[in-house]
Amino acid sequence: MNRLQRTARVQLDDYPADAAWSADARVLVVAGGQGRLLWLETHAAQPQVEVLGTHAGGVLAVAWQSAGRLLASSGHDGQVRLWDARSRSATLIHSEVEWSERVAFVGHGRLLAVATGRALRVFGSDGALRAVLPEQRGVITALAWRPKSSELATVGNGGAWVHRLEPQLQTREYPWAGAALSASWSPDGRVLASGMQDGAVHFWNVAAGTHSQMHGYGTKVALTTWSANSRLLATAADQQIVVWDFAGSGPEGTEPRQLTTHSARLTQLAFQPRGTLLASGARDRRLLLWRPAQSSDAQDADLLGDEITLLRWSNDGTQLAVGDRAGNLSLYTLKASS
Amino acid sequence: MNGTRAADTRIPVTVLTGFLGSGKTTLLNRILSEQHGKRIAVIENEFGEVAVDHELVIGAQEEIFETANGCICCTVRGDLIRVLNQLRKRRDRFDYILIETTGLADPGPVAQTFFVDEELREDFQLDGVVALVDAVHVLEQIRSVAAAAEQIGFADVILLNKTDLVDEARLAVVERSVRAINATAPIVRTERAVLPLDQVLELRAFDLERVLAHDRDFLQPQRPFEWAADYQLPAGNHTVLTGHAAREASAAEHEHEHDHDHDHAAGLSAVGVVVLPVAAAQAGAAGEAEALAQAASALFAEQAAELSSGAAILPGRHLRLKLGNGARFELRLPLAGLWRIHLEHAPAEFGWRVAGAAPLQEREYGSHHHDSEIGSIGVSDERALDPAKVNDWLSYLLQSRGQDILRMKGVLSLRGEPRRYVFHGVHMIFDGRLERPWGAAPRVNRLVFIGRGLDRQELEAGFESCIA
Repeated sequence: MNRLQRTARVQLDDYPADAAWSADARVLVVAGGQGRLLWLETHAAQPQVEVLGTHAGGVLAVAWQSAGRLLASSGHDGQVRLWDARSRSATLIHSEVEWSERVAFVGHGRLLAVATGRALRVFGSDGALRAVLPEQRGVITALAWRPKSSELATVGNGGAWVHRLEPQLQTREYPWAGAALSASWSPDGRVLASGMQDGAVHFWNVAAGTHSQMHGYGTKVALTTWSANSRLLATAADQQIVVWDFAGSGPEGTEPRQLTTHSARLTQLAFQPRGTLLASGARDRRLLLWRPAQSSDAQDADLLGDEITLLRWSNDGTQLAVGDRAGNLSLYTLKASS
Repeated sequence: MNGTRAADTRIPVTVLTGFLGSGKTTLLNRILSEQHGKRIAVIENEFGEVAVDHELVIGAQEEIFETANGCICCTVRGDLIRVLNQLRKRRDRFDYILIETTGLADPGPVAQTFFVDEELREDFQLDGVVALVDAVHVLEQIRSVAAAAEQIGFADVILLNKTDLVDEARLAVVERSVRAINATAPIVRTERAVLPLDQVLELRAFDLERVLAHDRDFLQPQRPFEWAADYQLPAGNHTVLTGHAAREASAAEHEHEHDHDHDHAAGLSAVGVVVLPVAAAQAGAAGEAEALAQAASALFAEQAAELSSGAAILPGRHLRLKLGNGARFELRLPLAGLWRIHLEHAPAEFGWRVAGAAPLQEREYGSHHHDSEIGSIGVSDERALDPAKVNDWLSYLLQSRGQDILRMKGVLSLRGEPRRYVFHGVHMIFDGRLERPWGAAPRVNRLVFIGRGLDRQELEAGFESCIA
């Protein structure tokens, strides 16, 4: 049995909109919805909030190179910046009126993918523009690096697209009459899962060349996350978490596990990397910890100051950063208990 | 505001529709530059010329999300979901959102987004849909582009802009055409989109409490006449002018410039009329207008006597006046007093004037629309309804006609229920609840539907089936 232990709580004076951990989990960079990009040294007894920079109007997204020192950020100012975490200095790599809402590193950090409306741009780790992909049919709502590959999935209205970025650009289309809101690769890289605006979850088994859809959600499905062993897919719509089991021939025809303790719409859902725990956050201000492979009951809980807007595991799965709408950022570590 | 309900802290959203050239950008710039104390964010689909330093203007390409089932009633606007979900993160900096749609945008998905997407609904509330209409070109647009009539049919308020570029007679014709599509939305005449902002912002048009507050939104039952007006007249003969003669007399009296270019009587060869006395004791009394309208309708149902120019109009009869070449008639009244003249067509369409007298009060009645067009249908009835039957009927209606119904709303009197049942709907989206008690007010069911090809008989039969 694991329990959450809160190690720190700091006031950001900003809306925690997105965040990224450094590879060594010693630094958390938070994208502030009001415009500040914040830097926190999380190992300090009382972490100080430092301002790394600002994107006027609001920071939209932040990503950390998986094993490196580069950070990417984008904002309402239409800019995309590449930061050197060591010197804490930035290079402006892209700027236009339209927002770049998604950024993601690909291929163990060799490349940076930036989604701006319907356009996808690929930059090198030196910040140089490598490629501009043909505009896809819908605005790109989510990006996901396919693990252990040089491929990237983009999703949006009209389905999913898988782009091989190296050695040559190559795009495969996975059309579907619906709007995909999220993109989650199973850690083994076989299945791409998307939550859909029309109350469904769509799976593209890219490895097998098949796809299917699970219906019956009462509202749109905005949150999807895979367990580290690629066996469970947790999804959330409204107040409910639905967990599909991909053992054997897949979830079709099986009864999913339903986790129903939240009393307001879920805003965050994330499986622990390298572990079996699932963390969820909602408008009911509650942070809940689950072990869905074993139980439908929450393992631990904490009540935050306001609606949860952010939840990020460190890459090693030992720390959890949780932000709320009132601007509080709480840091947790996992403690084994009997 | 109802004190028993928690204040709604959601950010209001006004949707601005209108064709290219209708004046949307002018209106937006006016709203943004006016001292109203609001911090407004604008979402623009047409990358126009809105540029005000201290306000936020966000460009976003219109994107209608597909659905696997292909139902238009389920479609939402992805661009609005994305942009507004970003704006909610800085919500302390805005207290109003304006959405300027492209000229050809269908307002349906825009409005539906605010009901269907539960995430947006938490922080934003659709306040109203404003349609800007270019008085010069709207008639042509209604004829040639389906989106024009849809935008008008969907609107909570219609701004008839560029009224300085057309004459009064033409304006009246335009207003009638707009009114035939949407019988409930106020039509506000403007020049260069100048108007008080409280006529477009904070309308709370989707607030159920508000449905009750606007009795005038509900249609009178359809009548065989389109217009009625009261005249205070002495006994004796009064000259009635029609066509050009009437317009010139009006213009001269109002010291307006003459305008000789149009004659909208073209095509209208005759008009039905019924003149009835308004009993002094009843003038202005509750139910008086309704009682007299019923009497006039009964007369209109009778065979009309045809009158040529120069003939006498007598009260209490259904007469048909032959128009053309400035036909004039003698209105012959036996008594002095208040007289109500009911006309089959609105006077703006053919020119009408009682010499030396101005109408004291004018009433407009819905004009008739053709089945394939967008129009409004109202039902007004005092009989109590059976709640289960109402539920069946409205469910069936939404299922079967949801795609064609742009907007509907109503106040219902349910049997055994002391409170009013209030509802409104957008396509298949429906919201209804019990509201204030009737108290001493007369219990009258009032419903209005705005949609495409609506069948009055079908709607009335459906309503009949709900009588308790």
